[in-house]
Amino acid sequence: MAEKLKPVEVLYCAVCSLPAEYCEFGPDFEKCKPWLIKNAPELYPALVKEESERAAEQLNGLDISSGPGRTEAGSSTSEHKVDEEVKTLPGGKVKKKEKPEVVVEKVVRNKRKCVTIVKGLDMFGIKLSDASKKFGKKFASGASVVKGPTDKEQIDVQGDFMYDIVDFIAETWKNVPGSSIYILEDGKKVPAG
Amino acid sequence: MFKKFTQEEISGQNQVKASVQRKIRQSIADEYPDLEPILDELLPKKSPLIVAKCQNHVNLVVMNNVPLFFNVREGPYMPTLRLLHKYPTIMKKFTVDRGAIKFVLAGANIMCPGLTSPGGALDEDVPAEAPVAIMAEGKQHALAIGFTKLSAKDIKAINKGIGVDNMHYLNDGLWKTLTLN
Repeated sequence: MAEKLKPVEVLYCAVCSLPAEYCEFGPDFEKCKPWLIKNAPELYPALVKEESERAAEQLNGLDISSGPGRTEAGSSTSEHKVDEEVKTLPGGKVKKKEKPEVVVEKVVRNKRKCVTIVKGLDMFGIKLSDASKKFGKKFASGASVVKGPTDKEQIDVQGDFMYDIVDFIAETWKNVPGSSIYILEDGKKVPAG
Repeated sequence: MFKKFTQEEISGQNQVKASVQRKIRQSIADEYPDLEPILDELLPKKSPLIVAKCQNHVNLVVMNNVPLFFNVREGPYMPTLRLLHKYPTIMKKFTVDRGAIKFVLAGANIMCPGLTSPGGALDEDVPAEAPVAIMAEGKQHALAIGFTKLSAKDIKAINKGIGVDNMHYLNDGLWKTLTLN
């Protein structure tokens, strides 16, 4: 047996659980600061300096505004990455598109059961009933042609085949270019492979 | 991938049979030869190994309620960051420059320029579609685990777009999942 690897001890911040050196990029650097000063002063020399400056300020009753400014400016930038809420379908879902494209979407029902929805195959002149039969055969599951919203016909395949189905479409119908197949992921259209 | 991971996403936990357990051990040993000597400690043969199935075809390898490895579909097993921090030498490493840290920790994929710029570094001979540890300029510990889209050579040559998919990063859902029950 080769020499044994020794586990490395990593100092994790007690406040945000990240390794101490990443606290500055963590969710709440401000809250971590007191912990860091106490437990990992060597990682953030600037912080310690700032803290001692502040302590000196309090002692002397001085009013310094220029000193502690720079580290705080750095930490505040990390805050606005949190509000990344996805807007749910800004009405653009059913816009009349001239360009034919296939959209694959997964809808979750009952927590762990999914339906994979394929839209737009008819725009390539593919008979949907034939297609659904092929899907059903390939994935060994129920596949049916369903009237979607606004009378568009779509194919529902029971089960989660988001990624497999893209390959299958590209393989089966050569006239569907891979570049016009999209995957709908949390409201965003992502070109598939 | 684990951005919003919670315990609720686990659809089933199973104690796997011995043959599957052997297979998992084997593939981990193949992927990380350096880990082999301590594999007996990490995954003792006697104690039951649990595989938790999660949404989006993610599997977690769980030992004593602690997630140790994960994989996607039939892909290679990758250690969780907590495990990697303990044994940082087991994986090939890519280093990103300081400017990229913020984005990687928000779950962004790693773009080529962040790896090729002066602050970044690449381990040689990493093929495409291989797990790598993502380190950061000036930091000791890994901040993410990625799955290369391009080989190290191509990253240098193309220097554009996504080089490494971000699978698991500090403070994501899996990181916050210390134990499963």
